[in-house]
Amino acid sequence: MNFLVKKFRVVKAVALVTYKEWSAYRTHSMVSIFVGPVYFIVQYFIWSVVYSGKTSLNGMELSQMLTYFGVTTLIGYLTMDFADWNLQMLVRTGKFLTFALRPIHHRFFALSQKIGHRVLGFLFEFLPCLFIFVFIFKINMRPANFGWAIISVALAFLMNLYLNYTIGMTAFWLVQAAGVRRVYLLLQSIFSGGLIPLVFFPGALQKFLLFLPFQYVSYVPAMVYIGRYTLAGVSMPIPQIVGLQAIAVAVTAIISEYIYRLSMKRFTGVGA
Amino acid sequence: MAIIDVNNLTKTYYTYRRGSSFTDTIKSFFHRERVNVNAVQNVSFQVDEGQITGILGPNGAGKSTTIKMLTGTLYPTSGHISVMGYTPFRDRNTYVNHIGAVFGQKSQLVWDIPPIDSFHMNKAIYAIPEKEFKNTLKELTELFELEDIIEKPTRVLSLGERMKCEFVMAMLHRPKIVFLDEPTIGLDVIAKQKIRSFIKEMNRQGVTFILTTHDLEDVEQLARKVIIINHGQKVFDDTLQRLKMNLGAKKIIRLILAEPLAEIELEGIKVIEKNSDYEYTLEVNIENNSINAIIRRLSEMCEFSDISIKELPMEKIITEIYESKESKE
Amino acid sequence: MLKKYIRIYIECIKISISTALTYRLNFLLDNFIMLVSNILFPLFTLLIYGSGAEFPNWSLYEVLLIQAVFTMSTGIANILFNGVLWATMRHIIEGSLEIVLIKPVDCLFFLTASTIEFSSIGLFLGGLVIFVVALPYIGPVSILMVLQFIVLFLSGVCVMMGISFIMAATSFKWVGNSRIPEIFESIKYFGRYPQNIFHKVISGFTSFIIPVAMVGYFPAASLLGKADATAFIAILPCFLFAMAGVFLFRHMIRLYEGVGG
Repeated sequence: MNFLVKKFRVVKAVALVTYKEWSAYRTHSMVSIFVGPVYFIVQYFIWSVVYSGKTSLNGMELSQMLTYFGVTTLIGYLTMDFADWNLQMLVRTGKFLTFALRPIHHRFFALSQKIGHRVLGFLFEFLPCLFIFVFIFKINMRPANFGWAIISVALAFLMNLYLNYTIGMTAFWLVQAAGVRRVYLLLQSIFSGGLIPLVFFPGALQKFLLFLPFQYVSYVPAMVYIGRYTLAGVSMPIPQIVGLQAIAVAVTAIISEYIYRLSMKRFTGVGA
Repeated sequence: MAIIDVNNLTKTYYTYRRGSSFTDTIKSFFHRERVNVNAVQNVSFQVDEGQITGILGPNGAGKSTTIKMLTGTLYPTSGHISVMGYTPFRDRNTYVNHIGAVFGQKSQLVWDIPPIDSFHMNKAIYAIPEKEFKNTLKELTELFELEDIIEKPTRVLSLGERMKCEFVMAMLHRPKIVFLDEPTIGLDVIAKQKIRSFIKEMNRQGVTFILTTHDLEDVEQLARKVIIINHGQKVFDDTLQRLKMNLGAKKIIRLILAEPLAEIELEGIKVIEKNSDYEYTLEVNIENNSINAIIRRLSEMCEFSDISIKELPMEKIITEIYESKESKE
Repeated sequence: MLKKYIRIYIECIKISISTALTYRLNFLLDNFIMLVSNILFPLFTLLIYGSGAEFPNWSLYEVLLIQAVFTMSTGIANILFNGVLWATMRHIIEGSLEIVLIKPVDCLFFLTASTIEFSSIGLFLGGLVIFVVALPYIGPVSILMVLQFIVLFLSGVCVMMGISFIMAATSFKWVGNSRIPEIFESIKYFGRYPQNIFHKVISGFTSFIIPVAMVGYFPAASLLGKADATAFIAILPCFLFAMAGVFLFRHMIRLYEGVGG
């Protein structure tokens, strides 16, 4: 219990510091209030004409499609981070040392930072955009089931951190780790579902995507939000897909921890 | 009592030789030539509790590698280290709770917010009780006269103020041993002096300090014990007084003359470099002659347009040590 | 006077090329990633058509052509103008704009010339690849259509220039905000699609106010024989927009000199 209290104190302190650090840039976050709705308007017109004369495409109706794009945008505000970039900078500048010298697991530190950073995102990106989508664009943004939606978004939050952090750790081995990061971001932007619902991809590719971690970052929470999940012809009830998501997060966490230990060995062995 | 015990510490690592041309980079993609670097070789020493120990050496001598191994952030290739009964690299997770560290160029402070917020972060990380935190913070900020400074965003602080805050941040959890890597690098004279008197005060309260530096003045003012490392090997390990006895009291004078002079010959003065008839670098022995007297005699002898007096540079000290060793043998 | 400016510009191009060549491997890698990610850019459109849906009255290759032209235009603009924003931002943060102001050349010209960035060539090439892929599938192209295309394409580049300068001018007031480009990026998004899918108010805005339709849609439409009078009327707002960018930047410089002097 004492252990948990201490952990909680660390999360609180680090999150608070990160919140303060970034709230100086809150006008930067507020760029999203303009950008998010503008992209949405484009999507709105595209899908309105694409659906003309059709009631459903790949099993999704127009209203679901619009909700999908609204939701992926909003989930993005709640789950994005740049743990990858941050870690690569710390390693490259040698400042990672100041964390090795403190009694803290750096990924835990990064998690706490992300919480602080995303509280800011919640206030200055998520809430205003939600307001615009619901009250100005009149889009149905009510989740099918509040409980599952929150759990799924929380899992996506963790998933994104573990994946990004793992990409960041390549900096312990590679001088040109920025290239790895860019390739990863490219793949993630396409295969997470942020571009288009994954059911629009060719069947073979969908089967492949079923086994990649990308869908858990955006597609899965968005579909849980909407209330029905299908990929590669596989439909799952909501509790089942959220359970699968939890397992995926756990596996990623274990792999990430394993690489973290290798990284620490590498760091303390070479003293990068 | 020895609080730090280092035995036959060795660190070897490999790097790969890289070419800079395009074909070299392609080649290195397939085959890389491995190069061994002996950063630290068979270094042994002990540090007693409550001491201030200076580790001296020129750039790239292995000082930082040694201090990283002492803090547990770098594995030795071989050898033993024991600090307060811990083996740093093995017990790092518990060990780091008991030490503090300031690495000259690597800041712990968060750039955009006031230091006080960063302090609170470390309070949580080290699980410092509220009351203890308040008392320590009060004491340290008063000592440094930082009361107003710690409320301002870090980015607006001067280098000296930032460095003081780094010290506070490193001392908040009351470590028994503090490692300092080039703590005064880049600071002006006044800030250096402030930092030094802070270290002295903390030392009086019982904190053991290990500092690396290439500034001889840091060592002269702080350390009682000096370890000199060169090319990864320990070349000197004794008290400051012994070092001074070995070196004698010497200073370096650089002289720019207004009128050309073919040579300078005076008692207690050795010309170590002569760039032209106008530029001389002299080594002067001030054991028997005061620096005042030497300058007076110099000014009688020649007309100079500029003069500067400096400490012996690190490289010079090391050659002197080698020489004095050889003469003993 | 003009000769001097041309000579400066040529010097800057030389420096930029030799800088890019110093980091050859990096340069190649960056461009490769950029090329691939831009070939993938029409993926969205491809998947829509792949699922049996379409933009009414537009074939897949016609839409791809719009997006190819859009990417080529963006590529050229990135090479020529993109550095102005970052250079201005850096100078303002570091308070070093004076170094540029004391030079006996126009400040905006110098910032633009000295930040030519050949590492964006991959972007242009990515657009070109899609362009070449789409070209065989469209109807016959007459010489007149090619001439129309060139005029409209250059007008589109003018719009991109205007956007770059307006962004740079914004950075005087909105110091250090690295998200400024996202704002214009989102507006430019309208230029990637057939304009007739949008509401009249929006297509009016994208044709005459911030004429991003000229970046992709209008030039492509001229090659497809679908350009109407609107496309040619919209040329004027493009040049006005570019000039507005120049004026706004100059105005900010004057304010800066007034305050900073």
